[in-house]
Amino acid sequence: MTEEVNWRRFEALALPHADAAYNLAKWLMRNDHDAQDAVQDAFVRALKYMDTFRGDNARPWLLQVVRNSCFTWLKENHPAGLTSIDDEEGALEIPGPAGDEPHAIAVRQDERARIDAAIAALPFAFREVLVLREFEDLPYKDIARIAEIPIGTVMSRLARARALLRDALAPGARPVLREVPRPTANGRA
Amino acid sequence: MTTKPDTQAERLSAFVDGELDLQSHLALEREAAGDESLRLRIEDLRRLRQSIREGATYHAAPPDLQASLARLAPERSVAARASSHAGVGRTAAAAVSRWLAWRPLAASFALVALVLVSADVTWLRGRAQERLAEDVVASHVRASLGQHVVDIASSDHHTVKPWLSARLDFSPPVTELSLPGSTFLGGRVDYLDGRPVAALVYRQGPHLVTSFVWPATGEEADPVFGHERGFETAHWLRGGMNHWVVSDLNRNEFRIVVDAIRQQEAAR
Repeated sequence: MTEEVNWRRFEALALPHADAAYNLAKWLMRNDHDAQDAVQDAFVRALKYMDTFRGDNARPWLLQVVRNSCFTWLKENHPAGLTSIDDEEGALEIPGPAGDEPHAIAVRQDERARIDAAIAALPFAFREVLVLREFEDLPYKDIARIAEIPIGTVMSRLARARALLRDALAPGARPVLREVPRPTANGRA
Repeated sequence: MTTKPDTQAERLSAFVDGELDLQSHLALEREAAGDESLRLRIEDLRRLRQSIREGATYHAAPPDLQASLARLAPERSVAARASSHAGVGRTAAAAVSRWLAWRPLAASFALVALVLVSADVTWLRGRAQERLAEDVVASHVRASLGQHVVDIASSDHHTVKPWLSARLDFSPPVTELSLPGSTFLGGRVDYLDGRPVAALVYRQGPHLVTSFVWPATGEEADPVFGHERGFETAHWLRGGMNHWVVSDLNRNEFRIVVDAIRQQEAAR
């Protein structure tokens, strides 16, 4: 009975959020393979602990499990990627575009790539609150639970993330950006 | 929310997210009314938010990942289904009420012993409805005060519907109203009843009407009209969707608008 109910609830409450889970994992892990592994791992755990979930909106709960999978994996494999939050006043370093065409042309040609790159270049702690807010439209209290930080910290990290993005995306800001090697947490070149 | 922002940047950021408490929200609006540079900063933040929401890549789960997640659960057997129904009587009351809430159709299987539990659930639902009415009105008021009534401004439901569907785990019915003096302003994603919901916004003369929609299980129910803090409300359940409509229209006009929403929706 329990197992049957568990997996029916899993099917009804967890599976519909596969897209949200993968989107978060992809933004946190920054590569497809690791993101898929993290989502698999998270859903296995979600199924196992389905009976501990109360309520009818499993999305924040599930995203918390996904976030933990990603965080644990990154801590073991790329701890440096998680510590860059100390560099709070540093300029946002956007990876240069592939190939050797002039930066400005690449930027004009692909606004989406530019926005994606700016978000991907955010330190982990800023990136996770931003993704949860802008892609999932979650309220601060849910973001606080998922990222395991106080609501006041959600507020300050979001404000900081937006300031970094605004600077990175402002047309006049482009010349001051340096081209840097892609972060090590990014598995693909 | 009780947490106060530390800096002006945090304050503005929380403001555009609608996360300031109502008093701080109004105070900031008053301030912005007389401060051009503050207004520009707020506009700037809204533009940034919009360009991220519309311009960044949403990574949907690849089909093979979806498939392998669906395979995590074992195949359902007929025997397992039968035993789950037979097992209801042995289950703790809390688990049963959760189970019933989750699968209301199965209520027909309920044993006599469950009547008390159901009564409890009904009472809890009554309380929940009151809270929901407050939340619906608060959301409507917050949006109209914040002058941010829609995330997607379009009078064309062919534009609004896909926009909302892409951001929700369901596809809401989106209709324009064929009433004189009625304008469809667009939609936004809001948060009610512990989940993201679709909010469709109409202007009827000088009044705003917000129609909230989200999926719900349960029996179809005709509109129940109510009155909350000076606003008219109506809610009903049809086609697997919960509907809550709220406006500052007067009672008669409000009923006409609700009828129009229901007719348009039935005609789809």
